[in-house]
Amino acid sequence: MACFERVSPALREILTRIHRAERPLEVDHHVHEFGSVHYHVKHSVTDPVYTYLSVSTPLLSSQGLPISSHLPQHTLEMVNGIFPGVMEALVPPNEGYQLTLKLDISRIPRDGKASTKMISDIASVQSALVSTQLKEILRNVESREVGYGIYKPIKLMYHPREPFFVVKQPAKTTAIFPMRFKEKEDVIIATAFFQELMDVGSSEAFRKAPHCIWSPIPPAELRGEPIEDLSTNGGFLSFDITLRHVQGKKLEKTVWSLLNVYTFVKWHVKPLHDVGNEEGDDHRETRKKTKKVDGGCTNVRKWMRVSKKKILGRNLELGNKMKRIRSRIKIHCFSRLRRKWLRMPKFSPVTRYMKLE
Amino acid sequence: MASSLRLYLTCIRNTLEAALCLQNFPCQEVERHNKPEVELKTSPELLLNPVLICRNEAEKCLIETSINSLRISLKVKQSDELENILTKKFLRFLSMRAEAFQVLRRKPVQGYDISFLITNYHCEDMQKQKLIEFIVQFMEDIDKEISELKLSVNTRGRLVATEFLKQFI
Repeated sequence: MACFERVSPALREILTRIHRAERPLEVDHHVHEFGSVHYHVKHSVTDPVYTYLSVSTPLLSSQGLPISSHLPQHTLEMVNGIFPGVMEALVPPNEGYQLTLKLDISRIPRDGKASTKMISDIASVQSALVSTQLKEILRNVESREVGYGIYKPIKLMYHPREPFFVVKQPAKTTAIFPMRFKEKEDVIIATAFFQELMDVGSSEAFRKAPHCIWSPIPPAELRGEPIEDLSTNGGFLSFDITLRHVQGKKLEKTVWSLLNVYTFVKWHVKPLHDVGNEEGDDHRETRKKTKKVDGGCTNVRKWMRVSKKKILGRNLELGNKMKRIRSRIKIHCFSRLRRKWLRMPKFSPVTRYMKLE
Repeated sequence: MASSLRLYLTCIRNTLEAALCLQNFPCQEVERHNKPEVELKTSPELLLNPVLICRNEAEKCLIETSINSLRISLKVKQSDELENILTKKFLRFLSMRAEAFQVLRRKPVQGYDISFLITNYHCEDMQKQKLIEFIVQFMEDIDKEISELKLSVNTRGRLVATEFLKQFI
């Protein structure tokens, strides 16, 4: 599930290759991930010390408007603070990118574990950018009480056409995800999934996880929002985030999980939808499902013990029968005669002509 | 097996035993052609009265017989929308492999989930009792398969939900 990993696997592989190369390499890679994230890695033989990594990613926008096409100063400071001396954010970034990093690969230690961890952290810069944005929004925006116990929601957009809402309250923050699906079958599968999610969330083992609610109608917190944001076919999924979920290292995980709710749901729904369609899909779960259905067929097929050979033989027999009906009466040696005397003349295409005197 | 299911299957078995008396009968309208008359329905004298056996409002079986062919159409129980989707997909999966089953029709009759077409040639190649056993066994197994599929969908959903919520702990 590369889309849920914070680390970009392609980027990690490229940086590892550059780091471990005995001689300087000429690298100029463009990596596109998930349709919207774009990396550009450049390492030149003439400048073997530095590697340049440019990142273009969809930024979190608030209330339907982009915050800015450039990253704010505190984000750049955060990036510079990850590995000072190894990683430096260039201002301004390369054209078409939100961030350009100058990496000093030689300062990454040579031993296995530490270098792998450092390269993985560098390769997860895109997730760090987006998570930082959400954290800043949640930290800086105060809860806006518009009535007795009612707080105004903040609309955020990470993926296009997939906005979600965050309602800041004194005791908790509620993240509400309107669910929309293109096909009716996806709605039904997703509804079953949300029921299971609520069941698991309310179990004893997950009492520390955020309280999860799914409702087919808009929750009370979204009262007053525009109708186009509230019209869905998959209902609304809400998570109550308390202080416990944002303390220390849990903040990163919580923020990243919230940003990937839609991806997670699609990951469950899409393979199940494709089981009967037999589309090209190399998802392991889909294969297992197809094998299970195919295995079910053996119960049915065991009664039909007709082999394929018989079916083909029957088809061949039918073909021969049709040929016999349609063919002309056969005369002995007539075929030789036909070849000799009844040949069709060859007409060569006219490509040149002789001029008549 | 529930008593109502046993009665239902027994009724279908008895009807099939009576109906599966097929003989070769070339087409009366086009010479040298031999077509299953139950599909064409051009000659009423070659068709027998169709028999509809209903277990309840949701489950029924239609048996249409002619002189040289028999068509059995089944409507499978679907208690909710998820079972509806799973049944549709599973039976479509089988219908696409109709060649391997030989007696399976590629497209079900309208109003039903799956259809079988048995001709006199099938009766010549295969044993009549085995054919009837196959149909009855199919009807027993299909409910189990759908229930298993629904269970596996819910189990998968539970596993995915567990994995998702674990990230918050």
